[in-house]
Amino acid sequence: MSAEPETQAEEIRWQKVLYERQPFPDNYVDQRFLEELRKNIHARKYRYWAVVFESSVVVQQLCSVCVFVVIWWYMDEGLLAPHWLFGTGLASSLVGYILFDLLDGGEGRRKSGRTRWADLKSALVFITFTYGFSPILKTLTESVSTDTIYAMSVFMLLGHLVFFDYGANAAIVSSTLSLNMAIFASVCLASRLPRSLHAFIMVSFAIQIFALWPMLQKKLKARTPRSYVGVTLLFAFSALAGLLSISVVGATLFALLLVSISCLCPFYLIRLQLFKENIHGPWDEAEIKEDLSRFLS
Amino acid sequence: MVLKAFFPTCCTSADSGLLVGRWVPEQSSAVILAVVHFPFIPIQVKELLAQVQQTSQVGLAVLGTWCHRRQEPEESLGRFLEGLGAIFSHEPWLQLCREKGSKLWSCKATGWQAPTSPGAPSEDQVMIIFYDQRKVLLSQLHPPAALPDCQAGDAMASATGLAAIFDTVARSEVLFQSDRFDEGPVRLSHWQSEGVEASILVEVAKWASGPICLLLTYLLSLVSAASTCRFFNLWPLSFIWSKLSTCEQLRYRLEQLTFIFNPQKAENPSQLMRKANMFVSVLLDVALGLTLLSWLHGKDRIEQLADALVPVADRVAEELQHLLQWLMGAPAGLKMNRALDQVLGRFFLYHIHLWISYIHLMSPFIERILWHMGLSACLGLTVALSILSDIIALLTFHIYCFYVYGARLYCLKICGLSSLWRLFRGKKWNVLRQRVDSCSYDLDQLFIGTLLFTILVFLLPTTALYYLVFTLLRLLVVTVQGLIHLLVDLINSLPLYALGLRLCRPYRLAAGVKFRVLEHEAGRPLRLLMQINPLPYGRVVHIYRLPSCGCHPKHSWSSLCRKLFFGELIYPWRQRGDKQD
Repeated sequence: MSAEPETQAEEIRWQKVLYERQPFPDNYVDQRFLEELRKNIHARKYRYWAVVFESSVVVQQLCSVCVFVVIWWYMDEGLLAPHWLFGTGLASSLVGYILFDLLDGGEGRRKSGRTRWADLKSALVFITFTYGFSPILKTLTESVSTDTIYAMSVFMLLGHLVFFDYGANAAIVSSTLSLNMAIFASVCLASRLPRSLHAFIMVSFAIQIFALWPMLQKKLKARTPRSYVGVTLLFAFSALAGLLSISVVGATLFALLLVSISCLCPFYLIRLQLFKENIHGPWDEAEIKEDLSRFLS
Repeated sequence: MVLKAFFPTCCTSADSGLLVGRWVPEQSSAVILAVVHFPFIPIQVKELLAQVQQTSQVGLAVLGTWCHRRQEPEESLGRFLEGLGAIFSHEPWLQLCREKGSKLWSCKATGWQAPTSPGAPSEDQVMIIFYDQRKVLLSQLHPPAALPDCQAGDAMASATGLAAIFDTVARSEVLFQSDRFDEGPVRLSHWQSEGVEASILVEVAKWASGPICLLLTYLLSLVSAASTCRFFNLWPLSFIWSKLSTCEQLRYRLEQLTFIFNPQKAENPSQLMRKANMFVSVLLDVALGLTLLSWLHGKDRIEQLADALVPVADRVAEELQHLLQWLMGAPAGLKMNRALDQVLGRFFLYHIHLWISYIHLMSPFIERILWHMGLSACLGLTVALSILSDIIALLTFHIYCFYVYGARLYCLKICGLSSLWRLFRGKKWNVLRQRVDSCSYDLDQLFIGTLLFTILVFLLPTTALYYLVFTLLRLLVVTVQGLIHLLVDLINSLPLYALGLRLCRPYRLAAGVKFRVLEHEAGRPLRLLMQINPLPYGRVVHIYRLPSCGCHPKHSWSSLCRKLFFGELIYPWRQRGDKQD
């Protein structure tokens, strides 16, 4: 069978089909095979400042965790009166609530169909349950070692940062899990505080900073990007200042972390784009790009 | 196929005559049942055979001749025997002959064509198998399913050869009733019972048993009618009856007695055996119970028991109190939630306090109660043991309560934690599809769920420890009760009569047969001795085991462990879901 095709090889052109018997070995390919090779068809061109702007979400979340820990430390040391924190938190929540509606002129509220009565009910549920459970929370981890609690809180806060919805479309993202881990950590930390009032205020502060503040942030970012940058900078500097009052080394490290995330990482991303070598060709898996709905009806 | 002649051992020394038996064409075997002696009148022999055939439904026939030569061979006898074949025509016609010395046997079959080897001499194709007629008559071949149906008559195509032979011998019992010394028209030689005198006693007992059974049945029906009276089936009482093992045992015994004294005749041997087993079991039970009764009522043992019982109950309660105080501290260095620990500990301590006062209130009456309970031992040891089990259950009621509280609390926590863990991950259990789906929760739902989750996680060790300790206590009590129940079950279900039969008369329960070679010489028929293999003890127990009370644990070890882990209540409580199944 091998002697005969050699004489006819010039006449018979190789075809890239499996349904016809051809006088070539199975692994034979033609010269034309690599003609259809294409590179980096999905690669994007990034602009530096746009990436820096997007990275501010991560910075914000890091700052939130930092602020929370700093406030908890102040409360634990007795340097911060719970009433003062409660008052500040309440006032800022009210301001944020009004801002939330003002930013899009009540459009989001109309879309979701959520009434003010429902908001009030949610707020009441938060306050009542936290207040009711605060005595239990206070005695909850009495017999557990402090180090265990710290380790658990660190683990949970890291989990919160990992699973947070930064806008990426990945399987690991789960805003529910992230919020739950943050609440778990806050309850653990609150149970270390000296009195049940402290615990109550700590947990309610955790809701404000981990649940309500990201919602406002998202709206700010979408509506007024300029003010969002300002708010981020302000927030970052206040977190740094708070950390500075506790530990200089910690503050330095945190500042370095923030700078690297917001400036170095985008730069590195853009540099790495040059080395991107994504090849596409006929060997790729079939991809159905067309809208299937016209076949279905 | 080789012709097999089954010859009873009791006929080996009989005088010459005719061989009477049955021909089984499927197995090509001749089962010889008796020898008819000279002199006889052929018509009378035929009449006798017809009579037996009518009563026993076995196709009897004259199969051949039997010649026992005590003196020198006589030419005339041989010729006479050959001539008999013309009168009683049968295919094949056997001619068994025993020479003067006991060793020499010969057998000739005429009119028998072996289908496999037509050219071989006829002597080689006959095999004489000796069997003990009495043993084969009395034995019952196992498994009973292989026995042919009694109503099927002679058409037993499917029956195995052995079962056919056993059945033939067992059914022609009528033939053996004629005595050796009877002056009948036909003289027969076969096995016959030796103890005629004892059989008179048996006859008297049989005659008397009818009225006694009737009387007892009447009494038992009165008792059972009283027990099904409407008053006893009102709600709280019926519930209590179903929980007390004494009532179960009494009901079981009542059923058994009703079955034993049923005046109707037992239909088949297995039912007869069941009746006998039950009767012996009841007898033994009552005998043991009476022994216990006589032991209890001698030397003031009741008083001693009553005096010992209250301190023991006190002691148990005291130990429990110590245990609870230990749990309320820092047991084994475990980190428990102090507040919950204190609450649970005080709750259980108060319970024990209540229990002790209850016991002390009861203490003056305990001796009298025990005395009356002791009387119940005359109903049988099993009833006394059941009462003991119930007393243990009543005296450890506080442990049961603790166990239930602990289990309920623990179950609540485990269920809550498992569903809140799903909420923690942003999932939920979809009841329609029976799977875990993702779900978007509201903010307040998430918050409350996580708050509760945290609280439950940190409180779980405390509850789990209490649950563990009380479950172990409960398991201890259940184990003791289980052992008592096991003993009761053993007495109830052990087939004592069948076991005794196996011990004293091994041939009565046959598992099969074995053959021993008596003589194997060329030119002479092969002679074998058939012996009965007795049924092994394990099989006897397995086949004849009486149905027990039916309070067996229904779950396996793995499901028990699963239930314990998830805090579901085990014995004797059932979950609502189980009842529907």
